[in-house]
Amino acid sequence: MDTLKFIVKRIIYLLILLLGVATIVFILTRLVPTDPVAANLSQRNLSDPEIVAAFRQKWGLDKPIWEQFIIYLKGLLRLDFGTSIRTSKPVLDELKRCFPATFELSLFAIIIATVFGILFGIISALKRNSWLDQLVRAISVAGVSVPTFWLALLLLYFFYYKLGIAPGTGRISKSFDAPAAVTGLYVIDSLLEGDPAKAWDCLSHLILPGCVLAAFTMGLITRTARSNLLEVISTDYIRTARAKGMANIRLILHHALGNALIPVLTVVGLGFGNLLGGTVLVETIFSWPGVGQFAYESVTKLDSPGIIGVAILIALNYGIINTIVDILYGVIDPRVRSGV
Amino acid sequence: MKKKLLTVTAVTAALLASSQAAWAATGDQVVIGAQTDIVTLDPGRCYEPYANLFLRACYDTLYEFRNDADGAQPMLATGCEFSEDGLTATITIRDDAVFASGNPVTAEDVKFSIMRCKNLKDNPSFICDVIDSIDVVDDHTVQFNLNTPDSSFTSKLAYCSMSIIDSTLAKEQGATDAEDAATTDTAKEFFDAGASLGSGPYQITSYLPDEEFVLEQNENYYGEASSIPKYIIQEMDDANTQMMSLTQDDIQIALNLSEDTVSELEGTDGVDVLSFPTMTMGFVFMNMDESLGGPVSDPKVQQAIRLAIDYAGIQQIVGDGSLTPLSYVQVGLLGALDARDPSYTDVEKAKELLAEAGYPDGFEIDFPCCTLAPEGIPLTDLAVKLADDLSKIGITLNIQTVDWTGGYAEDYRDGKLGFSVMYWSPDYQDPNAELEFLPGGIVGLRSGWAAEMDQELADMKGQIVSELDQDARVEKLKEMQEKTAEYGPFIPIVQYPKYMGVTSQLTGVEFSDSYRMDVRTIEWAE
Repeated sequence: MDTLKFIVKRIIYLLILLLGVATIVFILTRLVPTDPVAANLSQRNLSDPEIVAAFRQKWGLDKPIWEQFIIYLKGLLRLDFGTSIRTSKPVLDELKRCFPATFELSLFAIIIATVFGILFGIISALKRNSWLDQLVRAISVAGVSVPTFWLALLLLYFFYYKLGIAPGTGRISKSFDAPAAVTGLYVIDSLLEGDPAKAWDCLSHLILPGCVLAAFTMGLITRTARSNLLEVISTDYIRTARAKGMANIRLILHHALGNALIPVLTVVGLGFGNLLGGTVLVETIFSWPGVGQFAYESVTKLDSPGIIGVAILIALNYGIINTIVDILYGVIDPRVRSGV
Repeated sequence: MKKKLLTVTAVTAALLASSQAAWAATGDQVVIGAQTDIVTLDPGRCYEPYANLFLRACYDTLYEFRNDADGAQPMLATGCEFSEDGLTATITIRDDAVFASGNPVTAEDVKFSIMRCKNLKDNPSFICDVIDSIDVVDDHTVQFNLNTPDSSFTSKLAYCSMSIIDSTLAKEQGATDAEDAATTDTAKEFFDAGASLGSGPYQITSYLPDEEFVLEQNENYYGEASSIPKYIIQEMDDANTQMMSLTQDDIQIALNLSEDTVSELEGTDGVDVLSFPTMTMGFVFMNMDESLGGPVSDPKVQQAIRLAIDYAGIQQIVGDGSLTPLSYVQVGLLGALDARDPSYTDVEKAKELLAEAGYPDGFEIDFPCCTLAPEGIPLTDLAVKLADDLSKIGITLNIQTVDWTGGYAEDYRDGKLGFSVMYWSPDYQDPNAELEFLPGGIVGLRSGWAAEMDQELADMKGQIVSELDQDARVEKLKEMQEKTAEYGPFIPIVQYPKYMGVTSQLTGVEFSDSYRMDVRTIEWAE
């Protein structure tokens, strides 16, 4: 019952947050001294006042800002995110089209980041100040510091171009047809089609972009896991368990890790939310048709419904993930659930 | 632990190796990596240059460009006759053409498609401005009623938005050619879902926005089938990605290579690198209104600047294959004069002219420059080079970078800029599109060059447009270019190049300004 109350409360907060995000982004897109007319009409049509006026009228840009905002809010209440100026299609349809690609990639990246981040964190904490610890720390610092676009090009250059052991860009090889959209996640949809070869091909296309995206979050998780494990390891109950002769691995997995995981979970949640917002550079380099590409195109064409749609999607992602993370806190540590 | 690690590594390597064959094999199909700008598949609304890729493959037009310099050639049309006053054009249509549906291509389809494009009042509708109405004379003859004689009429009919669509099927999907089509036509959604209703050699069989198009052969095509059964146009925004994919044979044509990636590809077995000049032209403009242009409104200063620019240096910045047009008609267009010799630069003479104009020590002037980057080369790079060149004759440019959408476009459109650099690409492949640079033209007015400032030159626009005799039109075009080669507020400084990479197994791959690349000329080498 408490959990239900908690979720209802979170949904109300989320709705207020989304309204706030929509308002702020709407105002910002109108305040920036740029003109969507120039971004969307040809040089020739720019000189035709009739065409310019028709464009402004079509997209409601001829109305006062407050009126534009009320129209937008009314639409939003009906879950109508408006129509993209760039593609003339409903923004909601556009987001539905590109979100699964980003979700699949982000999910893959966050799984890699979490698994390896925690693993490296454990190794680093167990072998504190050893050469292994130094190596893991160096990897995590590199993961956080290396520019994403550079790492993307580097991995593509070596593993695809030079060694030829990884697939190149896109979500699927040209020797396969895209799977029929059920979930929009190619790996799962291929399996639903009963084609494991296609599923493996789609999975292999996730490896390079997934690793690039995972690098940053993995670095953060490693560092967080290490420092929290070290803190937990130095507590009395762990010292006692160790004095009783409990094996190190068992000690970490059964007693220390659970307590050290809560901050890690926060980092995982934030990292996943960040990835779901779409990463323009990685999506561009790997020709990945996701939210990042849509956001970039929307910004270059000053497509305000598209920009606001992406902003709401990002806020929604964070809201949902944070709610899930809060629930998971209680699962990992019963003291959180009971409010101790 | 070590054993486990080795096992995991071995299994991973084996899996990757086994799947490698899957991502390499693509069969007889051709995959094109391209950074496209396509936002709609509705031919009546297409305006973006890369839309020509699929429109050329899936649709026929009345006229076509086999080579930009030869002008428009009949395609679905078998002939065109103008009335004496040039106000009606009667076009006969071939009688063997059929749509992919099997329906014959008729005069009704021609009328419907072109009047729909006009009445949709979308980005490409301006191309139909010259057409008042179309009468169907018989099943294979149409009469265009024009509001003014237009020597570029057949070139306009070759424009991609003038694609002839299967009107019977289009009407079933909500398409209309009525005057109120802008508000009543509802077929866009149908087209954007991946439909093609043309009579070209290919059909769209799959479309994933921002991801890929699949074009497969139209089984009902009335012409000769190509040796390429299927094209996949894959969205690839990054030139490096295109280059790497080409060498791995994941794509067979890379449409948007940069100069860097071209050098990486040089010497690669099985890959040819191609370079073509485009019709995209960079130009300097100087406002004729003294209150805006200041010293650069003086014709002597304009000529001094023309002489001071290092054209060879600019070509080096823009890349191999670039050239400098002599005047407003780009090299490669019908009637264009030869390119300017880069050794035209004469700094000493420029200094003399500047002194004659009353500026022996030069002057300082604002130089707003927008952030656009035609063909990947930022205009700001050209501005910096121009500043360096003009400093040699004492002119100091204060470069002010302004975003295109952040005010530059508005000022440019309203003719409020004094001195700047911009680019221009013809809307349709005909020298008449370039006449907008003349006094009173759209671009001319952006530089404060009103018709009355040079009525003789302004009148040339009307004379060239209404000259229906091709040879006579070419003569007039040449005369216009000679007059403006060293005169006027515009200095064309460069014609941009285009780099493409292609597998050596393909023939007929060429860049075309009309179609970006003409898929109809490509074949597998025997």
